Amino acid sequence: MSLSMALFSPPISSPLQNSNLTSKISLSLLSTKRFSLVSLTQASSSDNGTSATVSATTVEIPKPASPAKEEVPVKSPTESSSDETDLTTTTTTEIKFQDAKWVNGTWDLKQFEKEGKTDWDSVIVSEAKRRKWLEDNPETTTNDEPVLFDTSIIPWWAWMKRYHLPEAELLNGRAAMIGFFMSYFVDSLTGVGLVDQMGNFFCKTLLFVAVAGVLFIRKNEDLDKLKGLFEETTLYDKQWQATWKEPESSSSTVSSQK
Amino acid sequence: MASFTLKSFTGLRQSSTEQTNFISNVPSSLSLPQRRTSLRVTASRASPNLANRKLRVAVIGGGPAGGAAAETLAQGGIETILIERKMDNCKPCGGAIPLCMVGEFNLPLDIIDRRVTKMKMISPSNIAVDIGRTLKEHEYIGMVRREVLDQCLRERAEKSGATVINGLFLKMDLPENWDTPYVLHYTEYDGKTGATGQKKTMEVDAVIGADGANSRVAKSIGAGDYDYAIAFQERIRIPDDKMTYYEDLAEMYVGDDVSPDFYGWVFPKCDHVAVGTGTVTHKGDIKKFQLATRNRAKDKILGGKIIRVEAHPIPEHPRPRRLSKRVALVGDAAGYVTKCSGEGIYFAAKSGRMCAEAIVEGSQNGKKMIDESDLRKYLEKWDKTYLPTYRVLDVLQKVFYRSNPAREAFVEMCGDEYVQKMTFDSYLYKRVAPGSPLEDLKLAVNTIGSVFRANALRREIEKLNV
Repeated sequence: MSLSMALFSPPISSPLQNSNLTSKISLSLLSTKRFSLVSLTQASSSDNGTSATVSATTVEIPKPASPAKEEVPVKSPTESSSDETDLTTTTTTEIKFQDAKWVNGTWDLKQFEKEGKTDWDSVIVSEAKRRKWLEDNPETTTNDEPVLFDTSIIPWWAWMKRYHLPEAELLNGRAAMIGFFMSYFVDSLTGVGLVDQMGNFFCKTLLFVAVAGVLFIRKNEDLDKLKGLFEETTLYDKQWQATWKEPESSSSTVSSQK
Repeated sequence: MASFTLKSFTGLRQSSTEQTNFISNVPSSLSLPQRRTSLRVTASRASPNLANRKLRVAVIGGGPAGGAAAETLAQGGIETILIERKMDNCKPCGGAIPLCMVGEFNLPLDIIDRRVTKMKMISPSNIAVDIGRTLKEHEYIGMVRREVLDQCLRERAEKSGATVINGLFLKMDLPENWDTPYVLHYTEYDGKTGATGQKKTMEVDAVIGADGANSRVAKSIGAGDYDYAIAFQERIRIPDDKMTYYEDLAEMYVGDDVSPDFYGWVFPKCDHVAVGTGTVTHKGDIKKFQLATRNRAKDKILGGKIIRVEAHPIPEHPRPRRLSKRVALVGDAAGYVTKCSGEGIYFAAKSGRMCAEAIVEGSQNGKKMIDESDLRKYLEKWDKTYLPTYRVLDVLQKVFYRSNPAREAFVEMCGDEYVQKMTFDSYLYKRVAPGSPLEDLKLAVNTIGSVFRANALRREIEKLNV
């Protein structure tokens, strides 16, 4: 699964959404009625990635299990040649995010209780579902129903337990395995035991490299990503300094005379 | 980084050797002032006085940069000619100016149509955050109509003694020697609309290129190209009851649907709103992004009529060469638009003024010929004053505009009062005020927390896909 992604990895949005499209079909088999709506929508539209609005305008397939009456929002196109274009829509209802537990623009925590305590995991999953829904069907914001949910109400230990700890376990396991076999290998080659290896500078460097490698390189693509990141951080500076770097022979002789 | 600038000027510093040692240890930001104080060389000291005339400088382009430059030049006693191709040019622009610009450029308060004191940032999942609680009574973001602002600055330049010509700059002949003039070829319209105008030439000693993103002056001197974003905007007149919501409020929408590397906006103008978006990497999809922006604001602009559609390139970074001999670029022509917020008006006007000041100083109020090192002083001053601002905004854009989780974290962060205070201070006054270290630490922790949570939710979303 895609659990282990580097925290600050640059987005690979297009492959992500392509996989969205192909896995939407499988998603329809697993998810609830509401999400089958989403998948049918996506499958019917010609998708090229971020075409959520396009899908909204081309949907015409009647949904057998749709809870709300679905209409295509009609907008006057911007391509019209007249200068004045009306923006009134002629729809009655649109697909909006709806959930029994989503009340007044935030999650009603009382509905998430399990054995008297709030089940934070299900809050997190519900919020993820909401965001996914909105990514695929961007909604208008209204002043009547503002979205007030703030992810910081979910306590830090809930996040840790769900995301950090499994990954930490994985990485620690990898580091331990690498460490064990490296120390065995070095011992068999040089006869230096584990305790004596720790006293050697070269071995300590190897250890550092191994730990850093396990932390930062979790997939094959991470190598290129890291290189790209480094270039990215220095690019803007280089663009600003370009005006100073020009080796202009005439001006440098002028300036050196002064 | 600025050590590059030191290398090119090391030859000039004949003075004390202890300073060269100092430079090697000290970070660049501290060593720059050292270098400036030791380098009191005016390049044109060696050049003779101009006989019987003042220095002639042409400013190509009459926007904020050109207007400010022309005014400063004229006030400094230099013969200034300002060439602008369209005097009533209604530029597609957000039109937001920071508070400090009103003071620094003595703008009359009646050109400000609206004072925006509240902003709403809306995340991809429609979480809305209100910004502006920390603003004091007298602080605001001014919304202006570009044609009004540009005309005001041009008129002031004319009053100070500049000659304003309605013409289109075509090309210029570069001089061979340090004292031969530049020959400008332009078409003069002279107020007659629709006429083809007559071709004319003019000889000037120096040129300030303030002709915007598609600068012809930049092309003439081979300044190089830059990456640019396309900003697309529709002006929409909405019903009065909906307009009251936008009375003093501007909105910013972030999300992959609205723009993959920028933001969508709803800015109030004099009697309508401007709804727009921009992008660097996906220029072909700009209409789609615009539809998405309108969709996100749909309820609030329902019943509106689109009265104008406009688009314009916005530079993303400076051109490789911002000056050449006695020609300097300022404003959009140089590429002085910040990342993250896309702010350009103030920096255009300020760079125009700074360049003009450098020319005035280098020529000793128009008495002497200038050369490239005088103009380099303007670049040095500019880089020293504003490069930290540009760098910070670049980092913000790189970190927070990458992906939907990053944008969610960004919007969450903006809800924090400390962030709002720092942001507005740095935007309105263009100074990086030192915050308290404890608050900075809390901010760092909160940022990491927000980014972590948003990325965790993204992983959850991906799990739902599989």
